[in-house]
Amino acid sequence: MRRLLPLALVVAVVLTAVPATAPPPAVVGLLETASAIDHSKGTPGFCTDDRGVTVVVDFQELGGTTIVRCFPGATDGTGLDALKGAGFQIAGVQRWGEAFICRIENRPAANEAVAVDGRPDYREACLDTPPAGAYWSYWHAGNNCSWSYSQWGVKNRSFLRGGFEGWSFSLNASADSNPVPRIAPVRPGTTGQRCTTDPEPPPTSTDPAEQQPGVDPGGSSGAAGSGGGFGDTSSGAAPGSGSGSAGGGPGGGTTGGSGGPGGEADGSAGGALPAPLPRGQTTQDPSDNVVFTGGDEARDVDDVIREQSGASRYAPWATAGLVLLLLVGAGITAARRRARRT
Amino acid sequence: MVGSQLAGNLLPRDLHPLAWWVWALGLAVAASRTTNPWLLLLVTAVVVHVVVSRRSDAPWALAFRMYVYLGLTIIAIRVFFRFVFGGAEGTTIILRLPEIPLPVWAAGIRLFGDVSAESVLGGLYDGMRLATMVICVGAANALANPKRLLKSMPSALYEIGTTVTVALAVFPQLAESTQRVRRARALRGTGGSRFEVLRSIVVPVLEDALDRSLTLAASMDSRGYGRTGSPSRASRRITGTLMATGLVGVCVGVYSTLDGTTPALLATPMLLAGLGLAVAGFVVAGRRVERSQYRPDRWRAAELATALSGIAVAVAMFRTSSVDPTNLNPSLTTLSWPLLAWPPVLAILVGLLPAIATPPPAPPHVGLDDMPDDAPIPARSS
Repeated sequence: MRRLLPLALVVAVVLTAVPATAPPPAVVGLLETASAIDHSKGTPGFCTDDRGVTVVVDFQELGGTTIVRCFPGATDGTGLDALKGAGFQIAGVQRWGEAFICRIENRPAANEAVAVDGRPDYREACLDTPPAGAYWSYWHAGNNCSWSYSQWGVKNRSFLRGGFEGWSFSLNASADSNPVPRIAPVRPGTTGQRCTTDPEPPPTSTDPAEQQPGVDPGGSSGAAGSGGGFGDTSSGAAPGSGSGSAGGGPGGGTTGGSGGPGGEADGSAGGALPAPLPRGQTTQDPSDNVVFTGGDEARDVDDVIREQSGASRYAPWATAGLVLLLLVGAGITAARRRARRT
Repeated sequence: MVGSQLAGNLLPRDLHPLAWWVWALGLAVAASRTTNPWLLLLVTAVVVHVVVSRRSDAPWALAFRMYVYLGLTIIAIRVFFRFVFGGAEGTTIILRLPEIPLPVWAAGIRLFGDVSAESVLGGLYDGMRLATMVICVGAANALANPKRLLKSMPSALYEIGTTVTVALAVFPQLAESTQRVRRARALRGTGGSRFEVLRSIVVPVLEDALDRSLTLAASMDSRGYGRTGSPSRASRRITGTLMATGLVGVCVGVYSTLDGTTPALLATPMLLAGLGLAVAGFVVAGRRVERSQYRPDRWRAAELATALSGIAVAVAMFRTSSVDPTNLNPSLTTLSWPLLAWPPVLAILVGLLPAIATPPPAPPHVGLDDMPDDAPIPARSS
């Protein structure tokens, strides 16, 4: 019998190492409806004036209708404030917190298989930095300007009032081929106007707490402690939220000359000279926008997660009862033994 | 036949120590897979229940309480540090402390400031997970007799086993020493200030533990432990290298298998390579050490049930966590009661099996350390 023990141990290790196959089929069907909006925040659709910021969430290959909502707030804030203020439900990774957005609207859901190159059955557990092949890329644009890939972390950037914040799921894309949100950054009624926003300067240091000029570090929630991907060169994953990784950059933009150093020289040229070429003007036509929704019909995220995880309303109560029962049982056993000993 | 077998299984006796270790480590692995407070509480309750109903009155069994205190301390420290170093993750601020400004080179570190419920809960869940694992190890230490554990090591594991057993026995040993010294102090009726009490306990405890270690070493030496015959220098070196490298490899492999975040590429090859090296080491060492065992502990139904129940809990948690991580790692983005599904709850309850299916421990003064399980209980002359 003793000889069997090492064998048993090996079997145990192997059994635990083998990943479980095939999730229950019931779960898969839920994914299409798996989004949720906090209806008390933000308004559906584009912002109607230049005070709020429009937030676009494009699920790309994940599937699901693109959502456009507005954060009509009259205060400045970070990209994270805009995302939350528009009513989107997000989850950060356990390692970096909300400095690295890992789920928006519960996508990619914890039980959703994401076909990352080399890991066809990848599931986003939101524990550590997501892989470079499957993460939410972070974009921004002024009104009528082209989308550009953020050089700043979501907690380090200040959103542009009247502008756009974009989140586009990047699946198996390189720094040059990150998918641009498929919604033209043009507010309704302003089509054809000029882009008047200067390109954002990239971060000047490697300090993870560096704030983009214009962000009030005291007012934003958790200005310090943003570390999402920042300086995490070893993993090299997801350049989106790390201000230190310069991979994405203006190259992701759709227009020639968007962003880029070349555009900066002509900022002060005025008067007598001929009108400068439109700088960073978007080439996306609002009439080419993909179908989008204001997210009005979405369900509450907690309900969706409860359904997906198969959680039961009674299980916590039963567990609490069991814990109590076991501890009382242990107490009785201990008391009886003490009585017997004396 | 079956009836007598069953009755024989339930007569008071000490279980094979390795069975307890497998059971406890299985529960610890299960706890490492989740931060769900409900599940962690349930694991702790199961462990406490089994320990209370199956521990003997041996000195090492009394150390369990120390592990529980250690677990509580861990939780307290984890939560405390969330207050000290930036607990502003999340939006539900429960406490506003003045923030202490730090120089530029300490970027990313924050002292005090706003504390949010989300980050405090995160610390609490994390601390509970570590505490539960510590309590599981404590349960193994309380239930398994360290001396028998050493005795039942296969001869290939002889060298490593000796080291590990002695190392594992340190904490229970310290606990026992503390209790002895405190009892002696109480008998003498000595009081004094807190500092004096501390000094008058710590010094004798350390001295006592050291003395006992030396005694243990001497008694092991006189029983032939540590004697390896006369191997050549080269063979000793080869064995040592193989064993140490192999076991380090196994440790890294097991870690990356259990930790959900390490790349899968690291896990299996490392584990296999480590196992290969260690097995080679075992073979070489086993050929060298010739040691017979006097009436070895046997694996019987109760032992198998205990070990398998621990393994079953671990396997079930792995299965559920890969299907449904939301449930096991509750999201703190929106504050809510952590969700819970039935499968992991039922899985953990399997760990209760040893409280029912194992014989009670041998009563004191009858089960002497060196007495084998199957020896008849000596009739006491009245």
